[in-house]
Amino acid sequence: MTHAPHAKTLPADLSAPAFVNTWRARALMVAVLFSVTAVVLAIAEKSWDHFFRAWIVGLMLTFGFTCGGMALLMVQHVSGGKWGLLLRRPLEAMSRCLPLVFAYWVVLAAMVKSLYQWAAFPTEELAKAAVVAGKLPEAAVHAIVWKAPMLNVQAFWGSGILCFAIWGFYTWRLNSLSLQRDADKQGNTPIWIKRMENLSGFGLVVYALTMTAMVIYWVMSLDVTWSSSVYGLLFLVGQGYQTLALSLITVISLSKAEPFKTVLRTTEQHDLGKFTFAFVMLNIYLAFSQFLIIWSGNQPEEIHWYMNRFNGGWAIIITLDFLFHWLIPFSLLLSRDIKRNKKRLIRVAQWMIFAKAFDLFWLVEPNFNDAARNLHFSLGILEYIAVPVAMVSLWVAFYCTQLKSRPLVATNDPHLAEILEPEHAHA
Amino acid sequence: MPEPREGLYGVIAEFETPGELVRAAKAAHDAGWRRMDCYTPYPVEEAAEAIGFHTNKVPLLTLVGGIMGLVAMFSLETWVSTLAYPLNIGGRPTYSWPAFIIPTYEWTILFAGLSAAFGMIALNGLPSLYHPLFNAPNFRSGALDDKFFLCLEALDPKFDVAETKAYLESFKPNSVVEVEY
Repeated sequence: MTHAPHAKTLPADLSAPAFVNTWRARALMVAVLFSVTAVVLAIAEKSWDHFFRAWIVGLMLTFGFTCGGMALLMVQHVSGGKWGLLLRRPLEAMSRCLPLVFAYWVVLAAMVKSLYQWAAFPTEELAKAAVVAGKLPEAAVHAIVWKAPMLNVQAFWGSGILCFAIWGFYTWRLNSLSLQRDADKQGNTPIWIKRMENLSGFGLVVYALTMTAMVIYWVMSLDVTWSSSVYGLLFLVGQGYQTLALSLITVISLSKAEPFKTVLRTTEQHDLGKFTFAFVMLNIYLAFSQFLIIWSGNQPEEIHWYMNRFNGGWAIIITLDFLFHWLIPFSLLLSRDIKRNKKRLIRVAQWMIFAKAFDLFWLVEPNFNDAARNLHFSLGILEYIAVPVAMVSLWVAFYCTQLKSRPLVATNDPHLAEILEPEHAHA
Repeated sequence: MPEPREGLYGVIAEFETPGELVRAAKAAHDAGWRRMDCYTPYPVEEAAEAIGFHTNKVPLLTLVGGIMGLVAMFSLETWVSTLAYPLNIGGRPTYSWPAFIIPTYEWTILFAGLSAAFGMIALNGLPSLYHPLFNAPNFRSGALDDKFFLCLEALDPKFDVAETKAYLESFKPNSVVEVEY
């Protein structure tokens, strides 16, 4: 083909550019600053309640980036495609942040009795006493007794450790096999593609099941009476939403220097923008279906969950959530020009991560008696800014370290030659 | 539909690859040519960009169509449920907007999709019964198959048969042909 001479060559040095160190230093500074703020707020409030509620938001965000990154890594191994080659190493770096998320989870697990009603009042007698004392709605007693085989402290710890072990296993396999694959000779590439595909296909099913179990424990069971069968999927899609946003920020920021200056073409950036758009749409689709089904059913067992989140001022938050989480990213990502513009697309991606955190605030805070149907300001509400920012910043520092530990482009892949071609040469 | 004309429509060059076409089209556009067009057997977005086609009206038509579908269905449901035929469904208010969303969404998609498809066809000038390019023999044999064409049209002030032919020859195409009306 006559266009072959126009192909670019991959730079010799594929390691992360020096400015990743600056990112890490900045992230660490922000983490320290916001940790101090969070502690000061807790002391000023004379209560650590909101600190640990906000901890759940921080955990879900960092868990979303880490295991969502691992899931997206498995998706790109199964689906193939040039976008996958582009994201492979950043996604691997995200998945290797699992130890930090585990540490965050251990803190949550240690605080289980102060956060979850089923852990605070585990038996019928204790629950009934709590109802008399006004700490628990009457409907919760039956739910606590009925759900005790699943919702108890031992099961919380046991299933959590088991799930982290499973995710750790997949993280280890995906990461170590990827390095072996690059070290191997080109002739074996088809075998490697199949091997990664087989590992990832089954892994995705396992991940969908384990993460569903964990979001039920960590978030849904905050309201012990309520359940929704789409809950796990809603979080799974939410992880795709935030992970793709972070991937966009990563690849566009890295493209200021080699090697991403060479490998990031507008075509693949546009494709990633479209993929992100699909997740924005799927996210509202699931969130709205859950609402529509429960609203139509109008059953007293379910509807209170939405009443807690609509009444008493929360209508403002859910309206803003709808705008932030769906309408704004949806409208912006409709535009072809924004998807092809580096600066603008990165702004949209940053906005989406903020919107995800805002959505988690709406999901978590109204679970607690003092906040249900009663949106009110206290210093504790500011913890929802301080704690997640500190936790995510520390995570980003960890992520930067992981980015630096490997070459940024996977080389043993048939898509590499395609990605180096000029953009109009797809004949 | 344009008036029937006599004489020369333009000069067309045939290229083997999209890359060559895009480079030639870009050079001609940079040299000041404006009455020009690219013809390819499948969409080559870079060719459109090379001749200065930065935006087209399809996204706008799609948006307008989508908004029309949204407004039409939401108003229809509101009118039916509150004024024309109010029903008591499980004690809910007659204006129950959450239940209206799904048909509204479907109509938004439907109208947007139809506007995009028919808008694209209309903006392309289709249906059209006649186009002078089909008089060019190389175009007839290659345009739907595997050849890429650049046509510089006679309406451009820079046009001169001999000079334009020589100019197109300088890009080393497979062939250069005059196109009659």
